[in-house]
Amino acid sequence: MRTLRSAGVPDSAIPDMGVAAVARRRVVVRDCARHSIRRRRMTGRAMQVICLIAVLIGVTPLVALVIATVSKGAGALSIGFLLHAPTPEGVPGGGISTAIVGSGEIVAYAVALAVPLGLFIALFLFERAGAIASSIRFSADVMSGVPSIIIGIFAYAVYVERFHHFSNVAAGFALGVLMLPIMVRANEEAMRTVSVDLWEAGISLGARRSRVARSVVLRGALPGVVTGNLLALARGVGETAPLLFTVASPTFAMTLLIFNDATQPFPDAQQTAWGTALVLLTLVLILSVTARTIAWTLNRKTR
Amino acid sequence: MKRSRIAHVLFALAAVLIAPCWLSVANSAASPAATSAITLDGAGANSIAPFFEKVFYDYEQLHAKVTVNYSPAGSSVGIKDIQENTVDFGDSEIPMSASALAAAKGGTVLQVPVELGGVAISYNVPGAPNGLHLDGPTLAAIFDGAITNWDSPVIAKVSGVSNLPKLAIVPVHRADSSGPGWDLDQYLIATSLNWKLKIGTSKPSTSWPLPDLGEGEQLNTGVATFIKATPGAIGYVSFGYASKAGFTNAALENGSGAYVLPSSYTIGQAGAQATHLSATNFSIIDESGPSTYPLANFSWTLLYKKQANAAKSAALDKLFHYVVTTGQQQAKSLGYSPLPANVAQLAKTTLAELQS
Amino acid sequence: MSDLIASLPPSPVAGSSVAGEGDDGSQALRPWRKRRRLPSSPLYAIVRWGGAGLFAALVIGLIVSIVSQSSQAFAHSGLSFLWSGTWNPDAGDYAGGTLVAGTVITTLVAMIIVVPIGLGISVSLSELIPRWLAGPLSTSIEFLAAVPSIVVGLWALLVLSPLFATDVEPALERLPVLGWFFHGPAYGPSVLLASVVLAIMTLPTVVALSRTALGGVPLADREAAMALGATHWQVVRRTVLPGARSGIAAAITLAVGRALGESIAVALVIGNRPAIPHSLLAPGATLGSAIVNQFAEASPGLGTSAVIALAGILLLLTILVNVAGQLLVRRRGGRRLLGVRGAVV
Repeated sequence: MRTLRSAGVPDSAIPDMGVAAVARRRVVVRDCARHSIRRRRMTGRAMQVICLIAVLIGVTPLVALVIATVSKGAGALSIGFLLHAPTPEGVPGGGISTAIVGSGEIVAYAVALAVPLGLFIALFLFERAGAIASSIRFSADVMSGVPSIIIGIFAYAVYVERFHHFSNVAAGFALGVLMLPIMVRANEEAMRTVSVDLWEAGISLGARRSRVARSVVLRGALPGVVTGNLLALARGVGETAPLLFTVASPTFAMTLLIFNDATQPFPDAQQTAWGTALVLLTLVLILSVTARTIAWTLNRKTR
Repeated sequence: MKRSRIAHVLFALAAVLIAPCWLSVANSAASPAATSAITLDGAGANSIAPFFEKVFYDYEQLHAKVTVNYSPAGSSVGIKDIQENTVDFGDSEIPMSASALAAAKGGTVLQVPVELGGVAISYNVPGAPNGLHLDGPTLAAIFDGAITNWDSPVIAKVSGVSNLPKLAIVPVHRADSSGPGWDLDQYLIATSLNWKLKIGTSKPSTSWPLPDLGEGEQLNTGVATFIKATPGAIGYVSFGYASKAGFTNAALENGSGAYVLPSSYTIGQAGAQATHLSATNFSIIDESGPSTYPLANFSWTLLYKKQANAAKSAALDKLFHYVVTTGQQQAKSLGYSPLPANVAQLAKTTLAELQS
Repeated sequence: MSDLIASLPPSPVAGSSVAGEGDDGSQALRPWRKRRRLPSSPLYAIVRWGGAGLFAALVIGLIVSIVSQSSQAFAHSGLSFLWSGTWNPDAGDYAGGTLVAGTVITTLVAMIIVVPIGLGISVSLSELIPRWLAGPLSTSIEFLAAVPSIVVGLWALLVLSPLFATDVEPALERLPVLGWFFHGPAYGPSVLLASVVLAIMTLPTVVALSRTALGGVPLADREAAMALGATHWQVVRRTVLPGARSGIAAAITLAVGRALGESIAVALVIGNRPAIPHSLLAPGATLGSAIVNQFAEASPGLGTSAVIALAGILLLLTILVNVAGQLLVRRRGGRRLLGVRGAVV
């Protein structure tokens, strides 16, 4: 092993020669050769079929969902649907404009909170290696898994109870807190793709750290930052739980409107729900595709 | 060098300026008097939502600068939000108790009766006629699980319909606290000794006393959706929703023994019996009369006596004056009943106590 | 998403061998001079430290807020809140025990559904399906992760639920052995439906992370097995899957974390009965769904504190599972995978 390693063979290609590993390999060889080739091939074929069935089972819900949303939602869609405010039962010409505008406003507040803060924290993690940085990194990873409903409760306690009114700003705060850990990690990953050599070159030329960060790191990381933030935004647009306890009326956010109308027994309310779901799905799709296109075109450019 | 320093400063300024804390400060500090547009936020009873939606919409058409938001999340949400002072007005089917009033953080709460509505007992039984006669004891037996099938002889005897299908009864109740639940609970307490014994108390409660029996759904909409989708289901739904959904409703036995179907007229007859209405004497359950529906109640809007500023108190005053006068014209078509004259007078008197 | 970001054009000079390794595999700066102060503007330092401080304040604030607001409920009922079975909102009893049981049951059933299917899909994607198809297919499965949970809930409530009530649930009742799990009346909303919804929502997580794990098995191991005469499936079963064990464990753990926290879609389809379900076809309730339904109307004081105590239990469970998942991911060595949501956002 010593000679192999010193000859430059990478670690992944050097087999483990410990007693346990050798014993394991002996078991593998014995089991593999236990049955005839015909039997082994049949088992292989059967497992292939099972795996492909799994693929079918896995893809079916997605396809069914998209088909259902498009077919049922298309019936509700019209220019009026997008431009008019909701009207009570029986009054025609209603739409979801307040929900679209409200969702946009809430997401705007969330972006105003999360994007700059995400950059600052990622810069901190980039510039510094130590216990504080790794604990912040670890807590960002764990925070990204915190249920959004708990963040909603936090926003209620911090904002609504303090200022005594429900507001889109509180919802934006909740959404921003939700999006922040995702953006932080995406930003940091993007910054890490920039070569250390370039960073050192900048420093050696006498530039300040902030200058190097601005011109070298951020410029190199910009595609990754934009992609990551767009994806986090796509995620944030579709959240419901943080808005439940912070928004003044369910007509102010698309996701809340769907939540409300889904449980109504009346066909036109359900129709509105499907239409709103279609709008939401389209929006999320556009954001995701945009993010991936940015990544893809930039990948091509340097090739 | 100098350019980048300016850029630094500008960048820092921008970062500080768009910090949301500034937004929230501006938001909460902006007094309504500074701008002429006013927004009123309300939350509360689910049962009155169709009425409020229509009346508020009409009011907004007449007063372009006013926006009224109502969140129909349930009476208890309305009470809680008023106690925490996070909304401008709340609404509850059952007025606040003394202890609830004491917990209100903004001072004295005014309770204004704004609407008269009813609770239908809706059922989904294929082949059953509308207006099945049911009385208190039978209904209690259905909801506490004593009767389990629609073709039970007890139901046949009371209703007079003997060809009901052999279908399991699925009683559905409100999983959240509700006014209709309180109404039905009180009705059953008043008419059925078995019910009183089963639940162990003679005080009605907004939380359904038997949560483990039958299905529980959230809000009128949840109950209505369940009834619509499940053959054999029976539950209590605000009449505004039941009439819109086209349900078959039971004709209930009232205080004088008559079996009455819910309608705007019969609910109005119940409301006419409220000669000495007040927030502590509010129940019109199981009243008597040839066409009085026994499950009716007033809906109470909750407002703080002392409002934050003059603009808000004037706006609330005007809005609810409209609701109890011109707005009542919408009641009949939506499944509610216009307020009797004495109740409208009580509402106006209470509204006059609004200060700023 | 980590693949996506890493696939962005790296700088012309490959720097992977240059930097030293940080304590968790991060690319720390080469310590060519200890403690040297590089020129830096104070504004930049304020920006960085301010950001880090704000983040720490948010995290600590969140935990402190939840813990302090739930203290009243725990003071009232003691630790018995965690396993109590009574539902009495007026007295502040929110049946913590039954809700925890409901959460565990739905998550367990969801994992039973999603793990075999997810592993099957990831094996297919990395072994069976030709490359030109595997790319679009895995992108579309990742798209499933981007679908908002409310849309999945809407579809489950309005399309799946009637389907379950009329066709699936009666069929399941007739199964020979497993049919015992599926007895009782079936109206659609049920623990089973909630578990299926959770399985659909966590599938992309399992698929993406398992696929990365499967791809990380060294080529030499596969080739060695093939040289010994193993068929393709035997290579997968004996060499690849065991080699990817810890990555798959990480995938499952993070999927569990995601399933624990999903509240909106579950609240729509689980039927909301706060009792331990006697059958998978019965309605139930989880911590998340109970919070969604009860928070807005909980009476100030003890009621609200009890609901926030439920949130605290959920937070603790989620943090434990996520920490375990992250540790599993880091134990694999190599690059740090992004967690639950970041991986397939």
